[in-house]
Formats: sequence, C-alpha cells, structure tokens
Amino acid sequence: MDDVLTTAKSCRHYAMCKIDFLDSGVCASGPERVYDSFYPQGRMMLYAALAEGRIPVTKKTVEIAESCDLCGKCDYQCYFVTEMRPTRVMAALKDFVARHMSSGGVAERAPEDALLKDIRSIVGEEWAENDRGIAATYARDPGPLTRPRTPAYVVLPGTRDQVSSLLRLFHERGIPWAVRGNGTQNMGFVLSEGAVIDLGRMKDIVFDEKNWVVRVGAGVSAFDVQREAVRRGYRVNVAEPAALVCANVVCSGIFSTFMPAYGTAADNFVDADFVASDGSLFSLSDKNAANLFAFRQADQETPGICTRLSLKLHPTTPDETGILVPFESQEKALRFVKECAVRRIGLALSVLGPEYASVFLAPTKQMAAEVKDVFTEKLGIPYLVLVIGDAYTMRSVAEMGHPAFNQRLFRAIALGLPSLRSAGWLELLGQISADVPYSYLKIKGFAEMAELALRPSPGQLCRDVDPDLRPFFESLYARPEMTDLVWLNMFRILSARMGREKQFSVNIVYLPLEIKLIGELIEEFRRVAERHGLKNDLGFITPIDQGKRCILEYDYFFDQNDPDEIARTQRAAMDAGAVIEAYSARLGTIRWIRHVVNQGMSRRENLLYT
Amino acid sequence: MSGGDSGKGPARNRERAFVLTGATGFLGGHLMAALLERGDRLVVLGRPSKGVSLEKRISGFLEWSGQGHRRDRVETLEADLLEPRCGMGADRYETLLAEARPIIHCASDTRFSEFKRREITDANVNSLKGILKLAEDSRAPFFHYVSSAYAAGTGRSFCPESRAGSGGFANVYEETKAQAERDVMEACTRCSIPVTLIRPSIVYGDSRTGRSTRFNALYFHVKSLQFIRDIYLEDARTNAGRRSREHGVSLDNDGTLHLPLRIFLPRRGRLNLVPIDYFVSASLAILDRARAGFVYHVTNHHSSDLEDIAAYCESFLKIKGIEFHYGPSNGAALSPPEALLDKFIEDYRPYLADTRRFDRAHTDQATGGLRVPELTYENFERCMKYAVNVNWGKGAPS
Repeated sequence: MDDVLTTAKSCRHYAMCKIDFLDSGVCASGPERVYDSFYPQGRMMLYAALAEGRIPVTKKTVEIAESCDLCGKCDYQCYFVTEMRPTRVMAALKDFVARHMSSGGVAERAPEDALLKDIRSIVGEEWAENDRGIAATYARDPGPLTRPRTPAYVVLPGTRDQVSSLLRLFHERGIPWAVRGNGTQNMGFVLSEGAVIDLGRMKDIVFDEKNWVVRVGAGVSAFDVQREAVRRGYRVNVAEPAALVCANVVCSGIFSTFMPAYGTAADNFVDADFVASDGSLFSLSDKNAANLFAFRQADQETPGICTRLSLKLHPTTPDETGILVPFESQEKALRFVKECAVRRIGLALSVLGPEYASVFLAPTKQMAAEVKDVFTEKLGIPYLVLVIGDAYTMRSVAEMGHPAFNQRLFRAIALGLPSLRSAGWLELLGQISADVPYSYLKIKGFAEMAELALRPSPGQLCRDVDPDLRPFFESLYARPEMTDLVWLNMFRILSARMGREKQFSVNIVYLPLEIKLIGELIEEFRRVAERHGLKNDLGFITPIDQGKRCILEYDYFFDQNDPDEIARTQRAAMDAGAVIEAYSARLGTIRWIRHVVNQGMSRRENLLYT
Repeated sequence: MSGGDSGKGPARNRERAFVLTGATGFLGGHLMAALLERGDRLVVLGRPSKGVSLEKRISGFLEWSGQGHRRDRVETLEADLLEPRCGMGADRYETLLAEARPIIHCASDTRFSEFKRREITDANVNSLKGILKLAEDSRAPFFHYVSSAYAAGTGRSFCPESRAGSGGFANVYEETKAQAERDVMEACTRCSIPVTLIRPSIVYGDSRTGRSTRFNALYFHVKSLQFIRDIYLEDARTNAGRRSREHGVSLDNDGTLHLPLRIFLPRRGRLNLVPIDYFVSASLAILDRARAGFVYHVTNHHSSDLEDIAAYCESFLKIKGIEFHYGPSNGAALSPPEALLDKFIEDYRPYLADTRRFDRAHTDQATGGLRVPELTYENFERCMKYAVNVNWGKGAPS
C-alpha cells in the first residue's frame, strides 16, 4: 500500500476536520455542501474507495474532488490530532479524477429512482443522494467490530418535520436506516444498507438564559455549543469536541471529567425533542412520552432521532483553574479522587494514566513516547489526578497536603516538553522527594526554576513538528488556552490524540468507586489485552455522584489497517465483555457501555442504581 | 583465631575465608575487591536487585574494580536476612555452616528518610537476627560489624571509641545503626563470639584515582549545585541570561557564574570525610588485628571545614556566590535557587553543622598509624571529575 493510500485508510473518523477547533477555519466546501463527502474525512474514504477500485468515478466524485482547493487547513487539523497529512490525499484524489477524465473516462451518473424522488420531495433536491461516490463516504467505520455497509441513500434533513416525514416514509416502505453524527461511531450503528441520515444541517443553537438552557439542533457539535456557551460566560457538560451533542447524549450519555459536578445521562439536559422510528413526534417533557428516563440492563434499540436538546447551562467563576496531582500508585490516586468526590471538592476530577497525559501533551508520537518515559521512569509519576475548580477547591486540595502541578507549572511542562525529556536533573528531584513523593513541587519558586530549566516556548515545543507546519503550530501554542487546563478540559481538543498512534477500542464501565474492585477489573482488562497481544492502557477514572460510583475507561489499541490486529481486537473485546458481564452478574452494581448505548437519556439514578 | 586475634596480636600468613554482606554496596564492594586482591576467599550473601541476580551484581562490581579474574574466589548466595536460615533452603544453609568463617556485616540502608523508617529498620536492625543466627550456628570465629561514626549520637562533641549511647540522633539511619550496634554486642557477648564495631565517617571516592560507585553525600551537594548552575548557564546561552538577572545571577567574562546562594546553618560545621581507599586499608588492618569488643573509628583526624568545601565546589563548578549564614535564619526569604538548594541539602543539613570529633586511638593502633588522606582540592577535583565523567553513576555497577 502506498503512503497516500495508507494515510487515506488511516483516517480515524473523529471528524476533527469538521469543527474549527484550531481557529484556522475548516475546509470551505464542507459547511457549504454539508455531506461528509465534502470534508477531508469523506475525501479520505473516497480516495481509498477509488484507489482500491471499489467504486467508479461518479458525477459527485468529480464534484467532491474539484471542491477541494488544496488550502491545507486539513493538514493543520489532522496533524494536530494524528500527525497525518491529509492534503496529499486530497491532491491524489484530484489527480486520480483528473487523470480519469482527461483520459476519456466518464463520470457515472446515478439514475434517480422512485424512492429517491420521494426522499427528495421531503428534503429538497440537493439533500439526498444515491451517488456511489457519496455513499462510499458513509460506508465504513474504523471500529474492530463492524463490516462495511454501503447505503443506498444518504439523506440530510434540515428540520424536525423533515426527519419525521423521512422516518414515516422509511417505516412505510420497510427501508432500514441509520442516523449519524459528525464522525463515525465505532460499533457500526451509523452504517446501513438502506438510508443513512446525516443530521449535519440542523445546526441551530438557541440560548434561553433565564431558564439556564441552550437548545441545540441535532447537527450541533460539542465544540460549537461550548464555544457559544463560554462566550456568554457559561459552560455546558459535553464530550468529544466533534461529537454531535444530541447524538452523543442519546447514544451513551456524556462522559466527561466534569461528571463529579454535573453528573451524567439525564443530569445534563432539561428536555429533548424526538422523532420516533415510525415518524411520530414526542418530547421528553410530554406526559405521555416514552419513558426514556428508565434504564434496562440489556441491549436496546434506538429510541428514535433526537432532533433538539435543551442542554443545561452551568455558571463559571473567574477564579477557576486546574492542577494535576501526581501519585505513585493507582490506589493512592483513587483514594484521593474519592476523597474529593465525597467531599464535593472540584468541578472536574479524573485519574489519568500515563498514556493519556503524555499523548495529550506531546505534539508528535515520538515525543509522546519519550515523555511517557519521563513521567513514569524519571519523575516516578505513573498517575495524575486532574482537578478543576475554583479558589476554594484549590485551597482544599492544598490543605489535604498533596503537592501538585499548578497551572503555571503545567504550562512550563507543556511548552517545555523537549527539555523535559532530555533533562538530566530529573533524577535529583526524585532523590530529594524520597520522604514525601513529589515534595519538590512545594519548593517556593519551583515553578520559576522549572521555567528557567525547561525554557518553555511554542518554538521549543514545535521543534519536532514538520517544518512547513511549524509556523502555524508555534502561533497556535502561543495561545493561552492551549496550556489552560480549564479550557482544555472544557473543549477536549487534545483527547482525540489518544488515537494518534493507533485506533482504539474502549471498555467503558460504570462501577462502584472501590479501590480493590477497580484494581481487579483493570488487571482483568490488561490480561485480556496481553493475551491477544494488544497495546493497552488505562484511560481515565472519574467519580460520579459524590464518589458512590465512577466511570472507568480502559483502552485497547489496534492498527485499523491490519486484519490480524483487528481480529485480535475483536476477540479481546469479546473477552473483556465476558469479564464485565461476569462481574456485573456477581455484583449487580456494574453497568457497561454495551447496555448504556441508546439509553443515554436515562436518569442517573436509574442508570447507576436500579 | 581467624579474622582477628582477640587481642593476641596481628597474624596473617594464610588464605582466609570470610562471609561478607553488603558486597553490592559502596563500602562492602570495595572491601570485597580488596579482600580478594590479597588472596582471601569470600562467601557473599546478598539479594538480587531490579531483576539483576546477585551473581551478576557481584561480577559487575568485580569487573569494575579490576578483580574480575578473581571471580572464582567468591561464592554468591542469594539470601534474605529477615527470613529463617537467611532465606536459604535447609541444605544450602547446612553447607554454609560447615565451615566456620569470620563474618563481616556490611549490609546497610544508608537513607536518612523518616518516611522509610520501616525499610531502614528492617535493613539495619531486624535483619541482624538472621546474620547473628548464622554467626551462632556456624560458630563464627569473629563478627565484624560495619557501623557508622555517627551512631555515637548527637549529644556529644567528642565521640570515644566505645559502645553507642541511646541519646539523640540526627536521623533514622544513625538511630538504627546505634540500635544495631547494641544488638550485635549483646548477641555476640551472649554467644561468646568475638566482635568488633568498625565505624567509618563519611566516605567518598578513591583519593588516588577519583573512582567511585556511589555518588551521594559529598557528591550530592556538588551535583545539586551543578544542576542549578547548568540551568543558569543554559539561560545565558539561549536567552542572553535575561531570566537569570531576575535572580541576580550573571555570567562573568571569564566564564564564572555569579550565583548568589545563601545557606543558613545553626553553626559553622565540619565534615569528617575519608576516601574509600583509606576505609579499605584501615578495615583490612583492623580485620587482621581486631581485638574483641573493640570499636574502631575509621575517621579523619582532620575534619574539613564546610566553607573550604564550598570553595572547592566554587572552583570546580566555576561559580561564585555561596555564602554561609550562621545562627537563626529569622525567616529569611529564599530566592528560587536558594529554595531549591535548601531542599536538595535538607537531608544532609545536620552534618553540615556538625562539630563532633572522633577518638581514633584503637584505629591508629590497629592500622599502625596509616595516614588518612585529607580532602585537598586535588582529591576533590579528581573525585568530582570522575563523577562528572561517569555522569554521576549512570551505568555504574548497582
């Protein structure tokens, strides 16, 4: 496989190219044409399909290729997350199509069939397609458990009524459908051989500040609504920046580091509008609505399509800041995080494994690997607990006696990573902290000395970045928010880097915040991964509901282009699932992602305790 | 009597065998090499570390010390002195008992950390039970315990070569070494095993070659200063020293870094330092002429003035600006580099203000007046150059 095709097939489908998370603008054709196909993410899939001869050049293929002006914005975005350079795939796509056309090839035109005509009568001519070029960009996700399914139709409704009419039509004609958000969800739920409904046009955001809600349409991403909320002085509890909030909430509920303060599942919204599978309309606040607040520990069908969500707005205070508290053991980190949760200390809390911390901070894979070693080996920090909170939170944590990396020190480390990895003096810090681990963090003026020693600067951080991208990234990292723990946790633009080295498959479990149980489960997940020869690591552990429960993510990493690794990941996922089921049956207090899917609207109490 | 004459005068004219603990450490390792070099045989008891077997650790040290060719004269036995039969199987333990050998117990945990009290007590006190039982079971002809001159405690200005008191101690290390001395004396007396206590002061590298395998104590201060210096030198190199100037730090034209560092101490102290080559020579002499029940201070007649050592550091590191302030600090606000240095030297602070003097009449008698090298700048520079060349011990035998 050539490099360009490898890049095309390595697209993680996180849809980060569909949001303007770097303030660099997005691919111009995307917002205009809305179809995924007109974003870099879609073009990556399209090029792979063409290069592998899975589809012919079609009329839409030509449009898609020609709509790219090779501006290079996708390189900024994708490199930030995955270190990949999609622009060369875009160029290869244009070249492929141009060569085909100049050598006398034709662009296949898909005839309009009766169903497409009916669909178009609902959504409008340009918002439904059966072109194979378009369909190819909705045919796959990179998850280990799914096989490709090419939809016959791709439809982009613009209103709730249109969604309703579509579902009625599909219901009457027996057409299978799937609804999708920005990226792809890696369990195959967004693939269908019938119709794929892309909600990308429904981008309305309406603030109702006197009721502390913001109403978001089905096509609104977490990043976009958070940005608007922050502009008005609020915060919303949302997850991955490119995820569409409605879909995210329905699918799994919101997992975030802010769960200790803002809760999960139904804690996050006031109301939601739905279109049921038969096309009927309902809202959660209707007396006669289906009870989506209930939870059943079993696989569930989709409750329909959430077309609008009234998301809670949370107040913020100007003294909010973040710290990272280091721990030598998982047990100590969990004890601390539980103590905080029980005492309602902190807005956001999370135990982070070393993979998370290093991968999030480092701009390249190589640096991430080296920094991980520095954290674990030289500084003896296998675990970090993130705490976001106000001045009272910080005072409480300080009183608890734990040394911490404050915002200033975090910035020094974040922008001084290259010096950190080569610093010979780190072992001295370990030696002087034999009594109280990390006590050097309490030395007066340590942050100042760290700044001197690490010489943090955007230029230094970017010295391993591809030279032509360096000026952009240097100006990017010079922005204060890029080293602001509060901003980074609200917008979560770093978390997608988790999949930079390899795609990952998640084990997500709600369980009691019991140290022994968590240790056992993590060990079981690790054993499963080792048995199947997969790179694996703890993602995060965040307390919920005053530390009565927590959410744990454990990740298995795999090469999405390696059939053998995919097969092993499938087996590992099955084995890990069996482990969770066994614990769940024995304890009765464990919920896992498989059953949470499609029940994200549940009441937290129903989800966790019934 | 092998391993000492119990007071009947020196005698050493045949190959002898010793049981030695702590041979993977600084003092024990050098003692092992010296004993082999003079033709003795050794049974070394010790533990693997970080996945490296005892055998490999010993071989590593012997190669480093140029005694690799005498490896066949060392029998290594992995042992845990906290366990019955030193953690050995019955057969192996019985074999060990078959020959009565003098025992040199050098194993020790030299950390000062109160937070590591349990581990330090295990290593320095609780593990004695195992080695003393071995001495009893094997009818060891002599038991030599390598202690510390500082086991004498803090409550006296002159420390005689006599049993440890139970007074105040600067840290858990001193306290456990004193406790260990009492336990050793009591057990050996009860079992009628002749015993000596060998008490070195602060030991640094070889005064002739500068070589060492451990870079704590004296070295740690130099390394700390070097670390702080290098931060400012890098600022001078990459940032024209702009941040340095905020701390009053500047680079002179001759390359000397003006680095103001105030060190607050209760009083002007002196460090009693002996080089490892002297420790080894003196210990061999003591082993040959050991008198039962005697305490030997392997110390320097002339302690080094802390201010002289600071001047050595300044010369070696090409810095200037170290100032000592004696008496109460009155809550003086420390600059960031001063606060960092203060933290670095925290554990060693009691020794920096130490004024104890050590009797060494027994040692002088046993060693026949063997000269103790003083810490001259030349010795200091030789040792520190070696330390820097080996990157403060990276890759040294562990």
